[in-house]
Order: sequence, then structure tokens, then C-alpha cells
Amino acid sequence: MAGASNLSGLALETSGELQSPGSASSNRSLRVAENVRKKGERNPFQFALNYLSQVQEGTVVRGNDALERNLVLVETIALSQGLPPEAVSLLLDLALSLRAGSVTCSRILKFLIPASVVPQEAIVRGMSWLCVGKMPLNAQVLFLRWVLTVFDLIDCKDHLRAVYGFIFSFLTEENLCPFICHLLYLLTMREHVQPFRVRKLLEIQTRMGKQSFLMQLLALYKVFRPELVTLSVPSRLRTGFKNHNSTWKAALSAVQRKNRTQMMADHSLSLGVKGKPVSRKRKLDHLEVPPLSSSFYTNSKKTVFQLQELRSFTELLQNIHNIELPAQMGSLLGCSLALHYLDCVQDESAFLRLNFWLGYSLQEEFLLCPVDGDSDSQTEASRFLATILSSQQFLQESFLSTESFLYKFLSVWDGSLLRSQVLDLLSHVPLMPSHHIRMLLFEPLMQLYFTSSVFFKCSVLECLNSMLLKWLTWHSINALENGLDISLNSNGTVTMTLSGFMDTVIELVRFVGRLAAEGLRLENCHVLLLSHTLAFYETVCDMFVKYGLPLVIMPPADVFYPALLATDSVSVDRLGYIMYRYRKNLTLAKKQGQQREQTFHISRVTYQEFNKHLVAMVSCLWNSKSFLSGTGIEVDERQLIQSKVPDHWSSFDLVHHPAFFKYALEFHQKCWPERKRVDLASIKVGKYWNWYVEFLFSQGFDGLNDFIKVNTGQSYSSSSSSQGDSQPTGQH
Amino acid sequence: MALLTPYSKIPELNTATILLIENEERFQTKLADAIVQQEKDVNVNVRLARKLPLPLENGDSRPRVDLVVFVVSLRSERSLQAVESSLNYLASDYYLGKVCFVVTDARCGTLAQERMLRVRRLAASHHCPVLCAEHQTEEGIAMAAMRLLTILKVSAGLSPMATTALYLSSLTRCAAAPELDDD
Repeated sequence: MAGASNLSGLALETSGELQSPGSASSNRSLRVAENVRKKGERNPFQFALNYLSQVQEGTVVRGNDALERNLVLVETIALSQGLPPEAVSLLLDLALSLRAGSVTCSRILKFLIPASVVPQEAIVRGMSWLCVGKMPLNAQVLFLRWVLTVFDLIDCKDHLRAVYGFIFSFLTEENLCPFICHLLYLLTMREHVQPFRVRKLLEIQTRMGKQSFLMQLLALYKVFRPELVTLSVPSRLRTGFKNHNSTWKAALSAVQRKNRTQMMADHSLSLGVKGKPVSRKRKLDHLEVPPLSSSFYTNSKKTVFQLQELRSFTELLQNIHNIELPAQMGSLLGCSLALHYLDCVQDESAFLRLNFWLGYSLQEEFLLCPVDGDSDSQTEASRFLATILSSQQFLQESFLSTESFLYKFLSVWDGSLLRSQVLDLLSHVPLMPSHHIRMLLFEPLMQLYFTSSVFFKCSVLECLNSMLLKWLTWHSINALENGLDISLNSNGTVTMTLSGFMDTVIELVRFVGRLAAEGLRLENCHVLLLSHTLAFYETVCDMFVKYGLPLVIMPPADVFYPALLATDSVSVDRLGYIMYRYRKNLTLAKKQGQQREQTFHISRVTYQEFNKHLVAMVSCLWNSKSFLSGTGIEVDERQLIQSKVPDHWSSFDLVHHPAFFKYALEFHQKCWPERKRVDLASIKVGKYWNWYVEFLFSQGFDGLNDFIKVNTGQSYSSSSSSQGDSQPTGQH
Repeated sequence: MALLTPYSKIPELNTATILLIENEERFQTKLADAIVQQEKDVNVNVRLARKLPLPLENGDSRPRVDLVVFVVSLRSERSLQAVESSLNYLASDYYLGKVCFVVTDARCGTLAQERMLRVRRLAASHHCPVLCAEHQTEEGIAMAAMRLLTILKVSAGLSPMATTALYLSSLTRCAAAPELDDD
């Protein structure tokens, strides 16, 4: 008991020095002491804590068995279960006061694993010990690293913010500077940004050079008070702060995971009880989106609404002018009201903080430590990415930090880890200049694509298709507003010229064309891959009509012919649809080009390519002239004879094409049920041909139907008037 | 100096041989098991070695090696150095699409990132692909095995379509290390 009162006395002294409410903290430690006394007799852990709290200044450490025994006991408990808040503040005080020497100090700091929260008074008191200046340097650094590690677990931060100035003064210590910068970054609010602090920071910066931690802090200052910081800050800072949590990370996450499972068990038992059991904090390895909680000020002068208090959209609307952001920006991700707010306010500091949080978590979790094999962390990781994805979909905008993370991740990706989430996120990547896209996206994707299975190839094509779709949609919306330039983010600060945008799109379409062509070759024209390829070209062929982008790019021959000669009817039908849409786009482009010469120019080569494909397709399917000269796809006459296929010119027309063979047989049987010998050539004679075509189109081949209608001028029910080359040739 | 050459022996029917070289011998056995289990259509021989050159004794009984895989763990400097020294014992014909690098622990902090850059530079100068693998999970190993098999089948001439190892490697080979830090 004597020791306990000694402890509270200490608390009074130090907190008095810091002008923070001392009575509260001494009350608290009295309560702690009371608890300690109550439980101490029964519980060896409490007994040990009790003992440690009574350690006096100048205690001999070397050979002190009692001290050693108690420390070991507390250490094992701490590493296995974590420490309760009172124990954390007690031990922190013991350590930093150096009552048991500096070796014990670092030892205690290293096992100081909180089970739930860290009381802020403990941190404030720790800061005051830092001010006393007795601690050796390595202990100071260790303490600051510990504070940064458990920062998210500190129950409330207003008192800590009250001593901002004290913390700021440590910036001048060169060895502590990186850690202090990080801590200040986490604590800073608008009112902390003062001219004298900016001056000091700039002065330090000229002395230490452009250190990234200083730049980060200055960038934040600039966001809050742009008029004070005239320094130009690069728009995309590299990873700002190093990780300092290596000492505790493993133990802390283990303890928190354990506690959570326990709590879930408790929770499931008391299902009837309403409300959260205990305020649970996010575990350190960030993968959980933290709950909306713990804001800054409990200031009575301002009527500030905290985001977590909002219940409905109307409430949000009424209080939108005085809402304060939560302490942890990551918590915004899970909450739709918060996202509404973010979208509407477009607060740059909020985005900066959110991006910082996200970039930090992503980097930490996916790039700096490998996933240990358990499925638990896998599902957690995928849930985390899914949350980011849904937030991005909500905001219809990708976060800067996810984007740069993805590029880094792609270069070390094995192609299976979290595949669907990674590809989904990738499809949300915003527009970028064409010279970047090759390096950041195409190089790593290409290597993955060509070494992986056909299913992976399909999902890559699907991902790139949806990326293109999003870009085109983005363009069609933003081009309406401001003509030739396209803004790349929602507040229009970053723009791209139309030609730059077109270059990027051309680059992407060409890249996919190459992937598809080579992929189809390698996979022997796999049906699924062909289908995804055609889906991509369904987007490409409509870029002008649907999205207003004056650009027509034809598929390469390696994609066109496999589709035309495919053995499944769906692919041929889709190709028909694609060619039909190309025609629409090109005719519209030509018409507009004639009306207004200045608008744009579609290269003659594109028209030639289209015509070539068109001739090949019509002569193959309709005219029964496949492989003959002048039809686009030519095979040497002698070889055709050598192949000994009878009537080879007609083997890919609508009757004999392997994709429609089945339909021809069915039709044949319906027309001549009594015939024993099948003679498909008789379908091509006279009215049977029209009937057959009609029958074929009634099977749902709408794409082909459109294609034939437009390109042959043939309305097959009345076959009288048609162009010269569109006559079905029955016999040769 | 005993060079390993790709074309000095006659290939066996329906058989492909892959040589996994890893100095630490931690990942290669698991990978070998996965490769053998996954492939049902053709006979796959997996040979393991710690480094090149291979011993001379059973050089004659050794089948023709169709693909040489260097497994590099980015956690250790030794691993990378061993690969660097082994590269000299391969005949230049191998570098026409019959060599690839498999990298593990690529997501382990800044040191790994720096080594990754070195591996990429090494691979780019030898025109080889670099595959990243997750060696700690089942799916990761299976994926790595599958990707190696894809390359192996082509380099052993077992691919149904007429694709050569050289052609595939022109699609997959590592380009010069990307500079992500700018901008």
C-alpha cells in the first residue's frame, strides 16, 4: 500500500508539471492501487505487480532474485495474454523512472504488450519522464517506438494533444527526430500549425536535409495551413515513415488475436445482451478496418459532431459543416455515411490522411512481411481488400495509395495470392499516361499471363476489359464537361489531354490484342479464352458510338480468324455482332468526318482492315468462297487440292461451318424427313436457303442476323433485291 | 569446366526433365513434389541440385535437362550469390528460353526489394523470366509448380501448338528493372 501511494504521488508531481488534470490521474492510480491490494493476495500476477510497484529508487538489480522472479512472471503473462491498462501504466512508470536501472527499463518496454487499451495518462507521464532527461538515448528511442506501436490503442488522445508543444520541442534532438515527426504527424490538428513551428521545422530541414519524415510532417502542415508553408511538396511522397513496431508486432498481434477469439466466444454466449461487450480496438496488423471511434476534442465550446454519432443521412446533411473526422482514418472505409461525407466535402487533408493510413497498412501487410500460411490471415486479408474495393466503388474513384501499392505488388505477385481481389482492384486503376502504363502494368502482367493457366489468362482479360470500360465511362462523363481535357480525379486538379488519353487507350487495346492473339495460339484457341477476348472487343468496337471517343481499332487477324473459324456457334455469332458494331461506328465516323472536316481523322488503314475482315467473313459464311484468292484468307490452290477436302470453298459457309453443322442437319431432317441420305448442299438451293437462314436466326443468333442484314442488304424473307456479291451461291 | 548443354543428348519419348537448383534446399523438394503430382499426361523427371556444376560421375546416365530453374530466396545473400556463380556453368544454348528464376520471400521488406532488383537485373541480362512464388502456402506452391510446368512443356517441345522455348521466353523474359520510385 505504501508503494502504491508513492506511485500516485509521483503521478501528481509529473502531471502537475504538464498542466494536465492531475487529480483524475491520481484518482485513477488510487483505484489501481486499491485493485492491486484486493486481488494481490490471491493472484500471483497481481502479487508480482504489487511487488514491482514497490520497487524503490536505487534498488540493486544485479543478483536481485525477487525482482528477477517477479519480472519473469509478469513478462510471461504479458507475452501470452497481454497486460491490463493499469499494469501497463504501472510498468511504464517503473521503467521510465529508471528506478530499477536502465537495463530493466528496456527489458520492461520490450514486453509491454497491452491486452486492450493503453491509458493516455501513462503516455503523458512517460513524456514527462522524457522531459526529465535522465533516460539513456536508446531507452528514449525505444519508448517512442513503443508509443508509435501502441498509438492506436491509446484510449483517448486529448491530453496527449495538450502536450503537443512539449513533444514538438524534442524535434531538435537529432536521434529522436524521425520518431517525434511520426508522432506529431499522428497528433497534429489545424490549431497546432503555428508560424513558429513551421519556422522551426524549416530550420531543422535545412540542417538535416530533405528527410522524408520531415517532408511528411510539412506536407500535413501545408494541408492544414497552406499559407504558412510555402515550400513545394512533391505530390506523391514516397513511403513516409519507417515502421518502428518490429519489436512488438508479433507478440501484439498474437495477443490481440487470442483476445478476440475469446471475446467472440463470450459474445456468442451472451447473444441476448445488447451493445458491444467491450470497446475492442483494432489489432496492430491493420488488416481489420478499425471501428469508428475516439475523436479528438471533448471541447465544450464547439458543438462538433463526431462521425460515429451520426445515424442517418439527414443528420449528416444537417451537421455537415461541423463534423470532425475520426482519429483513425481507416475507420471511414467501412461506413457509408462517412464515405458520403468524404465524397461531398472533398477535404484534402482527409484524403491525405486516409491515403497515408491505407498506404501504410497495405505496405505493411502485403509487402513487408509474408503471409504465414494460416487461412485465418488469408480471409482477413481478402476481407480487407474487399472493403477497400467497395469503398472505391462507392466513391467511384481509386485511392492513390492503393494504386501505387498495386504496382509494387504486381512485380512480386505469384498470380494466385488473393487473385480475385487483386485483379478487381487492378481494374479500378485510374487513367495514366501511356509511357507509365507499359512499365507499371504491362511488363509484370505479361510475364504472369504467359506462364499461367488458361483460367488466369481469362481473368486477366476480364480485368483489363473492365478497366477499359471504366476509363471510357470516365471519359464520356468528363469530356462532356470540359472539352478536350480530361480530369483524372474528381476535383479536377489533375488533367490529361484528349490525345494523351487516346494514346493510353490505344496502348491498352493493342496490349490486350497481343495477349489475346498469343494466348489463343498457346492455348489452342480455348473456347473460354476466345469468349473473353470477344467480350473485350465488344467494348472496343463501340468506343465511338457508345462513349464518344473518336477511335476505332480493329482486332488483329490472330483474333479475328480463330473466332470466324471457331467450332462453337456462340463465338461466330459474337464476331458477327462485333463486325456489325464496327460498321456502325465507322459509318458514323465517316458521316461526321464529311460534315465537319476538322473533327478527327480515322486512318485509311483502319477502313482497309475492316473491309478485309468483312470480305473474308461474307465470302466465308455467305458466298461459300473461303480460302480463295481475294477473300482475305487465302490458301495456296495446290495445297487445297492436296488436302482432298471435297468442295473446300464451301466448307465454312453457314451450312457446312462446324459451328452451324448441327443446325443444318436439324433443318435438313425437318425439310426432308423421309430422306435416308443427307445432302446438305440441297439446303442452298432456292427458297430452302432463305428458310434455312430464317431458321438459323430464330435460334437466337442475333449478332449474326444483324451482320448479315447490314452487310448483304438481304432481308432473307424477300430475297429479290440484293447486291451483287451477296447472292448465295448454290453451286460452283 | 563441365558445361551443362541442352542438345548433347537425345530426348526421351513423352518425357520432360526439369532441374531445380537451390542452395538452401528448403523449397525445392516441396516444389518437386507439387510438379510431379500435378502433371498427369507426360513423364516429368525432377532433378535437384544445390549448385552448378553438376558432379561428373553420373553425367552419362543423367537425362537431357529441358529446363533449368534457379530458386532464389531473397532472405539470404548466399542464395543469390550461389546462383550468380552457377550461371557460368550453363551452355549458352540454355539461355535461349530454357532457364528461369523462381524467387521466394519477395515480400519481406526493403532488403528483399533490393535483392529483387538485383535478381531482375541478372535475369534481364540473361534474357530469362523471373517468377515470384509464395512458398509458405499450399496454393502458392501449386501455382509455382503449374507455372513451371507450363514453361517446361514448351521448352521440352511437348506443347501441342508449335511454340518454341525461344518464342515463349521472348514474351515472358524479364525486362530491365522497373523504376517505381520516380514520380
